[in-house]
Amino acid sequence: MSYFAGLDIGSTAIKVALVDQDGRLVGVHVAATGSHFHRNAQEALQTLLARHGIAREQVRYLIATGYGRKLFKEADDSISEITANALGAHEVGKAYGGVRTIINIGGQDSKAILIDPHGNVANFAMNDKCAAGTGRFLDVTARNLGLDLDELGACHLSSQGTPLSINSTCTVFAESEIIGLLAHGHGKPEIVAGIHYSIARRTVRLAKRVGIEDRVFFDGGPALNQGLVAALQDELQHELVVPEFPQTTTAFGAAILARSEFLAEASLSSSAA
Amino acid sequence: MPTLPAEPTAAVAPPPFSRSRQAREAEDTLTHLVNDFADNPKSMDYFYDLFRRVFCQGESLEREGVLVGTTCIHAPEELIYALGATPVRLCNGSYHYDQIGAEFMPAKSCPLVKATLGLLQDSHAVPRVGKLDLIVNPTTCDQKLKSSALMTALGHTVHDLEVPRSKDTEHARVYWQRSVRDLTERLRQLTGRRLTPRNLRAAMARTSRAQAAFRVLHEHRRAAPSLVLGKDVFLVTNAFFFDDIDRWTAAVERLNAELAARAAAGFQAAQTRAPRILFTGSPPIFPNLKLPLLIEQSGGVVVADETCSANRMLYDMTAVDEWHLPDMVDSLADKYLKPCTCPTFTNNADRRRRLLDLARTFQVDGVVYQVFAGCQVYEMEQKSVADTLQQAGFPMLAIETDYSPDDLSQLTTRVEAFLESLKARKRHRPS
Repeated sequence: MSYFAGLDIGSTAIKVALVDQDGRLVGVHVAATGSHFHRNAQEALQTLLARHGIAREQVRYLIATGYGRKLFKEADDSISEITANALGAHEVGKAYGGVRTIINIGGQDSKAILIDPHGNVANFAMNDKCAAGTGRFLDVTARNLGLDLDELGACHLSSQGTPLSINSTCTVFAESEIIGLLAHGHGKPEIVAGIHYSIARRTVRLAKRVGIEDRVFFDGGPALNQGLVAALQDELQHELVVPEFPQTTTAFGAAILARSEFLAEASLSSSAA
Repeated sequence: MPTLPAEPTAAVAPPPFSRSRQAREAEDTLTHLVNDFADNPKSMDYFYDLFRRVFCQGESLEREGVLVGTTCIHAPEELIYALGATPVRLCNGSYHYDQIGAEFMPAKSCPLVKATLGLLQDSHAVPRVGKLDLIVNPTTCDQKLKSSALMTALGHTVHDLEVPRSKDTEHARVYWQRSVRDLTERLRQLTGRRLTPRNLRAAMARTSRAQAAFRVLHEHRRAAPSLVLGKDVFLVTNAFFFDDIDRWTAAVERLNAELAARAAAGFQAAQTRAPRILFTGSPPIFPNLKLPLLIEQSGGVVVADETCSANRMLYDMTAVDEWHLPDMVDSLADKYLKPCTCPTFTNNADRRRRLLDLARTFQVDGVVYQVFAGCQVYEMEQKSVADTLQQAGFPMLAIETDYSPDDLSQLTTRVEAFLESLKARKRHRPS
């Protein structure tokens, strides 16, 4: 049996996805990027292969994506995370009746991608230069509030009052704003909700630049946060599709591409023979 | 009371120019521009060598007579040549000078203007153009307009060449013709020479020959697959800023001859399916060739441009009706106003028309629109240009950037994704 892998090396996490020769998803794995990203990327791949009892040689084609894509030399090819995300979301989105606008929030960037009905990128926009409103921003603010990243969602949903407004977009200034709000005796849930709404508003502005079409797909690590999903839904006023594994859509897209590239090369060499 | 040291501490000898920040910046760009690509035309060596000598080794440009700096393409160079002076375009692309300019200019001003002022602030700046007798500063965008006072404060003599804000009306044309005549008078006072039909005609012949050489180069870019890469063309047109015009023309003519021979031999400079890109917006100026280089390093090819450091500077030629001095000066004035697609004019219909024409006739797959952070006019025109192109089926990628190298990895992702999407479109519409 042959397999195809997509390896998405992001700023915060390494995501691996594996598909079989029919293009079906076999499994996914997420690991921290850390400072030894190269070793961690290899380990992440090995972990996933071991879990499914697959040998490295059975992986016939591997495509790397994400910020570390060029540095992972063992890959057969690399592709930008925008194309990979579009491919992955298009495939995953079929189960929901098809998606057109993709909102992705990653560790250090946020993107909006508009795809055509075939899954090709029609337009895209990314945050400029600054990492405000991205995963890292959530990370820092959670730490400020003495919460774990995965507690933010429940905290948001427990809020009774109006979400507080967080005006700073700069992570560092927002930090002092939050400390000020805490000092004034505001509750954590309202602060967390406020943070989520502030990110949601920025993200919706980004999405409007590429166009909002049915259906809107939301992926990336922060899509695991139910509070952020709720805020985004409110701001967007649109049906939002959040996939089962929002972190690995891009790796899945790269794996799908790895399979089709392999098949295209195989058919080329067989027709040449 | 502290005692003074018996001997003054030895001053640290300044390091050689080649170790300076601006030399390393230039070296870095040149290394990528030359080494990242195979089969560079042999005749490009003249330009690679020129930039290495001037920007990496700090070699002075040899100059004779009166030297006139210009800060926009609206300054009629023919007048400067006719009166025996030499023009040098001062618009600068160096991050080093951008940072120096930022020390005394607003943080949100455009890097081109900051770098130009940063250059003018330093009498040993590179390129070492020599002492400027006059700076002709066309009043185009607000930032260039206000730079005039800053340049004066730095000790330069500045002539504000008044450019109208609209080019569509007859009174704008008359106003501009008056401005050009005023410049002629200013140059006459400076050089002590008179403008005659003879010296103006000779000057026009020199620039026409240079423009003719550029037009041939431009035509070579129409070939599909491409014969020459955009990074080389930008370097060639950047050299026009400061190189001796006749030597420049001869070097471009040699390049054209080599390209013609390459065409005959079936050579191609890029892969057959490489996405063909039209480049527009804020001008790429050496060493800031970041975006065009990135496009071509990522497998695209810049086949045409609509920028004031290349096509807009050199394409449109003077059309003289009557060879009498006043008519010659008026037709020269017309050349610098009527066809100019600078976004500082009220109406941009001409610019959109030209972009569509270039996109169609050069079989372009997509357009990259560069905006320097702080350049309002290009930012404001972005939407109308994008709408026009998109309606005609040309996808456009808008990139806001500046001279600093720190956004390189984000830009790489964007440029690669754009090229990948263009390739996908091509696959779905096989030619």
